[in-house]
Amino acid sequence: MMKPLEDFLSHFNAKIFLDETFLVKKRNRYFLWNEALKNVIARNFFYAGLYLGKMRKGRFFPSFNLLKMIGKTKANKVVVDKKTEWLFICGRDIFKRGIKKVKGSREKGSYVLILNMKDECLGYGKILHNLNKTSERVVIKNILDIGDFLRRESK
Amino acid sequence: MSNKKFFEERYAKLGWKFKYVKPKQAIRINTMNIAEEKVVNRLEALKIKLEKVPFLEHGYWVHHSEFSLGATSEYLLGLYSIQEAAAQIPATLFTELKNKVVLDACAAPGGKTVQLADLMQNTGVIIALDVKKERLTAMANHLERCHVKNTIIYNLDARHASKLKLKFDCILLDVPCSGNFSTDKQWFRKRTIKDIERNAKLQREIMTEAAKILKDDGEMIYSTCSLEPEENELNINWAIENLNLKVAKIDCYGENTSTKIFGKQLDNQIENCRRIWPGKTQGFFVCKLKKVA
Ligand SMILES: C[S@@+](CC[C@H](N)C(=O)[O-])C[C@H]1O[C@@H](n2cnc3c(N)ncnc32)[C@H](O)[C@@H]1O
Repeated sequence: MMKPLEDFLSHFNAKIFLDETFLVKKRNRYFLWNEALKNVIARNFFYAGLYLGKMRKGRFFPSFNLLKMIGKTKANKVVVDKKTEWLFICGRDIFKRGIKKVKGSREKGSYVLILNMKDECLGYGKILHNLNKTSERVVIKNILDIGDFLRRESK
Repeated sequence: MSNKKFFEERYAKLGWKFKYVKPKQAIRINTMNIAEEKVVNRLEALKIKLEKVPFLEHGYWVHHSEFSLGATSEYLLGLYSIQEAAAQIPATLFTELKNKVVLDACAAPGGKTVQLADLMQNTGVIIALDVKKERLTAMANHLERCHVKNTIIYNLDARHASKLKLKFDCILLDVPCSGNFSTDKQWFRKRTIKDIERNAKLQREIMTEAAKILKDDGEMIYSTCSLEPEENELNINWAIENLNLKVAKIDCYGENTSTKIFGKQLDNQIENCRRIWPGKTQGFFVCKLKKVA
């Protein structure tokens, strides 16, 4: 059951301890419970505890809870400036000049969390061009950002 | 007589002179996610003008904002919620919430569920019910955005809540109601006394079920955003007479309610309820119920 979660974490070179006794899969969605919830829960719940993400068409879609958890650990991350934060939550990709700091992998193809200057997780993306090289181009592709909450509402 | 006139006359009999009001937009800081002053400073840096709501611990009125309050990073990160000031009152009336087992019986879209989780600092358990399946996704998104960890949502009619086989320390009954004109421009055009009576009956049924699953020393908060006594004082009077419940004193914004409604003398405990006429906030009614020992 842990496999999709572990695979997803590995893209960020991240490790999180998730207690399997509290990890629950309901249809295609993953939740993390605790003792208090486990004591009272019935089978037919719609949502329970901390939502971690879902599988769709063989792909894992993380929740912002999971991304926040990854953000608190050692993992691939970039910190972006204010203007880039705003553009990113509007769904845009990231230019090299908007990046303030890089932690972890700089390699093309790696997944990175995108943090604002207060170290809050705004979403994640995929590195398109090695971050060591100077570039005027988009270097990180936006995969998911917190503006998604607004897009979900308008669906 | 026009519908509007009919209702205006009823309000006059209850001691309130009708006037149009537009409730101010308000926010509530999610202190489980961040220190309050940090968010306030950040919003002020975005040129959002805030005023602390004097009767709320974490509530602010928004006087001016150049952009939508529902689109800032701070909002999307779950640091605050948009919640009208009167609607922030009910959840704050429980004596103790941390580590308790709490029922939010009519919960979607989850404004008060998130507030309860915040007051509990994500401890204990909240069971959140709503009968309308289509409203549950919005509630789930709301919980995810605010990083709530202690809530279980069921698609369940509150009138069948005993199926959960649990007893609750605290029950919030933010019951479906007829609403009021201050948040709905069409209100006078569409509402009839029949609707109000239908809602009042549903509310009594929900209260009846909730009374069965409240612990002996538990607390139940009943709230509506209706101005109509059938859904408020008269229903609570019915609960006193039929459900072995008493109305406890509360200390919050609003007026003590009258024990005489449309000529009918009600139980004296009814004056412990609070009625909030539209003005600084939208219209609201709230009270705390406990079991008679
Ligand atoms: C006043 S709204 C609740 C607002 C919510 N407490 C909040 O703060 O966001 C009332 C809710 O009750 C739900 N409802 C209506 N009848 C119900 C029933 N029999 N059992 C449970 N929920 C019901 C409606 O779908 C609606 O979402």
